[in-house]
Amino acid sequence: MLSFGLKSNASVETTAEHISLQATVTSVPRNSKGKVRYNRKAESEFFVDNSALAGFTGERILYMAVRELIENSLDSCESSQALPNISLSLKLLDPMNDIWFISCEDNGIGIPSDKVPVAVCSFLTSGKYVEKQQRGLFGVGLKMIAAFSTKDTDHPLMVWTKSQEEGSEYYFELRTDIGTNKPIVLDKKILKTDQRHIKTESGFMVQAVLRARLSPITKNKIYDYISQTSIVNPYAVLTFQTDEGKVVFDRRTKIMPQPAKEVLPHPSDMDLKTLKKAILNFTNQKTTLTGVLCNSFQKLSSEKAKEIVARSEVGLKVADKYNEHELIKVVNICKQTKFQIPNTDHLSPIGEHILTAGMTSEYTIVTNKQQTHAVEQSQQQLSVKVLKPALTTYSSRVCVVNNRPTIVECGIAYGGDIPSFKLYRFANKIPLLYDEGSDVAREVVSEVEINKMGISKKEVKEQFANPEAKGDRAIELLPIHIFFHICSTKIPYKTAGKESIASEGDLKRNMKICLSDLYRKVSAQIRKELRQKEAESRLHLYKYYIPLIVNAICESIKIDANKLSEAFGRLAERHVKGEIIYSQTIRKEDKITGDKIEEEINEKRESKIVRQNAIQNDNNNHGAIKKGSLKSDPKKNIGSKKKAIGLKPRGGTAGTGGRQTTLDTSEFSKKRSRG
Amino acid sequence: MPAKDKRHQEVVKKIKLIMRDISNDIITGEAMPILDVPKVGYDNTVWSDQKRMLTIGDKKVQVSPDSTKKIPTFTQYIVMASAIRRLLDEEMESTIRGMYYATLSTVGDEKNKQKFWNSQENSDDAIKAVELLTGVPREEFSVTSKPKGMISGPITLRVGGDLIDCNLGSRATSQLIPTNIRDVEIVNVRADFVMVVEKDTVLNNIRKSGFIQKYNAILMTGSGEPDRATRIMVKTLNEEWKKPVVIFADADPWGLGIALRYKIGSESLSYDSHRLVTPNARVLGMLFSDIYEYNIPEVARLDASDEDINRANDMKNKPWLHDKHWQRELNLFLQRKEKCELDAFFKHGFKYLADTYLPQKLRQAGLI
Repeated sequence: MLSFGLKSNASVETTAEHISLQATVTSVPRNSKGKVRYNRKAESEFFVDNSALAGFTGERILYMAVRELIENSLDSCESSQALPNISLSLKLLDPMNDIWFISCEDNGIGIPSDKVPVAVCSFLTSGKYVEKQQRGLFGVGLKMIAAFSTKDTDHPLMVWTKSQEEGSEYYFELRTDIGTNKPIVLDKKILKTDQRHIKTESGFMVQAVLRARLSPITKNKIYDYISQTSIVNPYAVLTFQTDEGKVVFDRRTKIMPQPAKEVLPHPSDMDLKTLKKAILNFTNQKTTLTGVLCNSFQKLSSEKAKEIVARSEVGLKVADKYNEHELIKVVNICKQTKFQIPNTDHLSPIGEHILTAGMTSEYTIVTNKQQTHAVEQSQQQLSVKVLKPALTTYSSRVCVVNNRPTIVECGIAYGGDIPSFKLYRFANKIPLLYDEGSDVAREVVSEVEINKMGISKKEVKEQFANPEAKGDRAIELLPIHIFFHICSTKIPYKTAGKESIASEGDLKRNMKICLSDLYRKVSAQIRKELRQKEAESRLHLYKYYIPLIVNAICESIKIDANKLSEAFGRLAERHVKGEIIYSQTIRKEDKITGDKIEEEINEKRESKIVRQNAIQNDNNNHGAIKKGSLKSDPKKNIGSKKKAIGLKPRGGTAGTGGRQTTLDTSEFSKKRSRG
Repeated sequence: MPAKDKRHQEVVKKIKLIMRDISNDIITGEAMPILDVPKVGYDNTVWSDQKRMLTIGDKKVQVSPDSTKKIPTFTQYIVMASAIRRLLDEEMESTIRGMYYATLSTVGDEKNKQKFWNSQENSDDAIKAVELLTGVPREEFSVTSKPKGMISGPITLRVGGDLIDCNLGSRATSQLIPTNIRDVEIVNVRADFVMVVEKDTVLNNIRKSGFIQKYNAILMTGSGEPDRATRIMVKTLNEEWKKPVVIFADADPWGLGIALRYKIGSESLSYDSHRLVTPNARVLGMLFSDIYEYNIPEVARLDASDEDINRANDMKNKPWLHDKHWQRELNLFLQRKEKCELDAFFKHGFKYLADTYLPQKLRQAGLI
């Protein structure tokens, strides 16, 4: 619904002024009896009213502000291939009124002074409306900050900029005319040397005041966001300062990824609008349609273009003379034509080296929960914890999603300092922190089995038992961090909120292949660790039981307890480490069986004789101790009617010379006497 | 203090030998010591046609502290063996529960404490293991239980130096059979046959009616599942003193099972069958067909449960119940699904059992 009216935060005088100004500009139709009023709404007003589209909803205002500023800075540095130095500050100015101060400084390419007002304040004017992989969402981040700052506070936006072309540093004070989408320049000057802020060759700094609430959850999300940004941009130095302290994320590598390049749209994406826009680019140049086609779209050669024009039977004219009906025909033909898969060189993946650099020293912000009673201003409650994993792996795949080439990158960091399972998601190098449940990455993790790599859930549960672990799957119990990054010129987000990625086309399948690949690489290590832990716990078990056994033995026979204990301990250790070879004892056993066989034969003969006299006098050798015998007696069928030849004489041990224990019940019978 | 009794000394010697072997193994350190214990249970029980009893198969369980599961078991066996040796050296006696307590302790440290025995079952298993390893039944190393079996009739026993005449008339109670049957000497047997009943209540009823005097029989009961002493007594009377043995139990699969203990043995004591089993014993009742022949009223019959049916089906397949007579009986049971206790005969009168039913059955069997 189009409407104009006073904003809800009309407590700010200047806003009201602007709106009353606006009211005079657009005339209000009088005598409206059921007539619909059509008014033009400025883009800025639209975006402010529907700030949710850009993610600037009540709770998340500061989170989005931080995001947008950092993303802009990173993009800017990437364009100039300068190793980023970004400094972000977030401080509470007025607790009573929820007034916050945010500032961000970078050493990117800066913005040329003539473009600054519009770039900062006017919505939908941006260098970002091209087919290119980029971080920002709609390109409205800075504008939203400016608009919100204007509507909620009486502080102007302060901007310092120094672009490479201009060389000198400019200072601006700006507000946005929300009604007209136009910037209001309150101050503009070139800075003299002693007033200059930016030390590098080029750079940009913005300071703004916003009204917003910051809940502890959102605060943690901000910290999370910065930590995660550091993982995928480890070549950047990030300095973050709040009322709780200051943290610095160091640069871990000097290598930067190739910047993303602008690319021509793919013809399978063509529709009437894009075709018309393409033709518009060639106005007054008398180019043929063929020429326009092959120059405006990638993977479209002039032969192909000629073919398309011929098939659409629209005749050959100068490009801008075609009418819409004819152009639609061309579009239809294009939709039916098969084109080559677009290439990926315009994309800028993170790359193995950089992601590994980020994964091998993962920074997290830690808040020291110490209660400081005194009114100390410089409380350092924040610190940076670095997690170093035992091993990292990387894998990537290229695929096509919605006719756009997409690169999927996957990384795993395992063990070492890593405490537990966590899934990190990135899209175009931006961390995604919300809506993990509906993200395709979550589905991928649920569906790829690590059990197939010889790691059973039971083992993992036993060894890595963690009462805090929420998940029930084996992978969620391991100390493992999984990183997913998807880069494309258009990320298939699920909702307008842009925090979770949808499972479109081949995306999920490729992600699963990547993850399986990594599981394979990591599983060897995990298995090894599981075995180690198991061996440790077995050794542990021995520690408890050996004393009991030694005690029992020493109670019965005269033997040195210490000597026995030590020997047993050594034996247990060796056993656990699997060093004990049974081959020797098998050889011994052969000798034993040789003896045993003989003994058995003797006993059998004996027992036959005995049986003839009295039933009770069977030789009954119960179990005796054998040394390491692995061979078992030949098995008999159970419960069959075969003749079991009496009770088997159990072989005695060699060495101690056939102990045959006879159960002599004949004594009992001897005692009888017939009366 | 070392054991005085010569037999006890022998057992102690055996235990010490086992210990010495194990410690030698440990000290040489080449391999983990292994205890070869015959497996006692369903899957290591073999029916011997020739002997007509259940015997133990060849399967062995190798208990060695080489795996996390077996370490506790190995320790339990050794600790129990040592405790038994102590028991013998002190010339004391204990029950299996007593041994459980004697060896009970906790294992582990603060984090994971465990009881040494999970339940008394484990300590019972350990005692059995020591029996198997030493070849000595547990009564002989003084781990006893309450005597259960009872005997009454024209037989004289010498128990620990005292002469006991079990024919104490119809008023006094029957004689308990001591658990350590080794201490019992049969001096004199004047009876014509031995009758074993399942329950001691039935025994008392029969005894009170003067059955012993009338038919010159020895009455025995195991009071349910017979203990070893009772079984040995039955076997001795049958095979040494050549007295026929007949068994009466309730008319249900459970009762039949108990009767068969005497006759063919049991799985849990299959390694001792040669001492305990009386293959020549005859199971005369109570048959399923007796329910109908002797007109037990319907109200006194019980419904067979699912367990009973399953058991009966199981039994049909056993080789020792393969003859036509038993198959007929079992089929009858499966068809009618009714079972009955011997006590039900009281419906016909308190003396019916001793005056009518039993004599008829015995006459049919040719004993009187």
